[in-house]
Amino acid sequence: MNEAKKIVLAEDNSVLSLLLKFRLEKEGYKLLIAKDGKEALELIEQFDPELILTDIMMPFVSGLEVISHVRNKLISQTPIIVFSSAGQEEIVLKAFDLGATDFMSKPFSPHELVIRVKRLLQ
Amino acid sequence: MNEYNFILQYFNQFPLIIKVVWITSVILMTNVFILIIYLRYLRNKLRVKSSLESKCQMYFESSLITYLYSGNEEEDFSIEQKKIIKELKGVTSEAFKRKVLIATLLKLRNEITGEIADSIDKLYIELGLLQYPLSKLRHKKWDVIANAIRELTLFQVKGIQSVVMKNINHPKKEVRKEMQLYLVQLFTFKGLEFLNLLQTPLSEWDQIQLLEILQKSDDQDITDIKPWLKSTNESVVSFALKLARLYNQYEVKDEIIALLNHKNELIRVNAIESLNHLNVLEAKVVLKSNFIETSLDEQIAFVKMLENTYESSDKFFLLDYRNHENQEIKLIIMEIMKNLNFEEYYLYDTELFEDITNKKTTA
Repeated sequence: MNEAKKIVLAEDNSVLSLLLKFRLEKEGYKLLIAKDGKEALELIEQFDPELILTDIMMPFVSGLEVISHVRNKLISQTPIIVFSSAGQEEIVLKAFDLGATDFMSKPFSPHELVIRVKRLLQ
Repeated sequence: MNEYNFILQYFNQFPLIIKVVWITSVILMTNVFILIIYLRYLRNKLRVKSSLESKCQMYFESSLITYLYSGNEEEDFSIEQKKIIKELKGVTSEAFKRKVLIATLLKLRNEITGEIADSIDKLYIELGLLQYPLSKLRHKKWDVIANAIRELTLFQVKGIQSVVMKNINHPKKEVRKEMQLYLVQLFTFKGLEFLNLLQTPLSEWDQIQLLEILQKSDDQDITDIKPWLKSTNESVVSFALKLARLYNQYEVKDEIIALLNHKNELIRVNAIESLNHLNVLEAKVVLKSNFIETSLDEQIAFVKMLENTYESSDKFFLLDYRNHENQEIKLIIMEIMKNLNFEEYYLYDTELFEDITNKKTTA
């Protein structure tokens, strides 16, 4: 039996995290929720997920720092999808420079996110 | 009792200054003590409130997610959803819980689009939460009205635009801004009809926000902007000119040409810039004939227009103003002449002609 693929979701909006957890678990993935970048880094190091979903703006450690840590310190090529808000275009470019795989601009459709996740984890 | 008398007698023996210091110290100590007790009470109250808020929020978040994922395509609301609606309706009468519930709905609503967002809007109506912002629309305090309209915008509540529009000329600009955002966010170009009735100024920042919403919208079917170009409200005219430029409204060129005689200089300049953008060549005749009577900004705007629309027939106009006292105009005219490959230019310039002739003779 195949083990469910692990996804770390770093998002400070608790209700959005809950919604995405339900949606992605319905698709057969195992979701590990972090409410800030610091928790996300701990989960990433502990569980070595197949995919990372991270918001850019988070308390303590930002999404950019998460990407930088994964790419430069852990030397991992785990795909990273970044969530950004309107007006954060320059930060998104920085995220791509640091090694982000894809980005979604908030507000986004959870259905579209599932499609992108499936494509990356194929 | 004896001890009390002894203390009193002992106190009375002190000089006046010591007595005053003692009394002041006692009053201050009492005040500090009362304040400490009050702050402790306030802190506890806030902690209880915050704890209750987190509990409510967790309950509402979990109910909301269950509601969103328990729907089916056959019914408007599944049995599970009806049960959640009934439970949540029970708490909407309490102002505090209602506030937390709305905040929870908005927390998710602001982050997502698509079917789930529509489902949240539907839940908002089904819970009867609409009556609260509606009742606040005639509130005495302007900030309450502005917040109520913002809530209606965020939950995309349609069908009440006539009520919202009653605030069209509200004395507070914040209320007017929320009303405008409501109309444009929900009805895009049709929502701009408020411009027909707007008597108050539409600030530059408001105009930018409205244009941003319009550009993000899928509906790009622009309505007739002619009435706004003829508006007595100058800010509406200015906004209509921006729309004309942004959506390439060539069909309103006559109205824009008419604005060249507007009493406001800024609108005249904007009109020239719009004509330049739309490449309205027939406007050049009018602008050339009035050039000398127009302001410096209008003249600069016009020569910039000529820079994009020059023809050989403009030669005589260029010659007339090649020595304009304004350096910017002079430079643009020279640039146009160069681009026109105006080889016989020196024939019209006596000084240059003489200079060239002398050089040829010397050689």
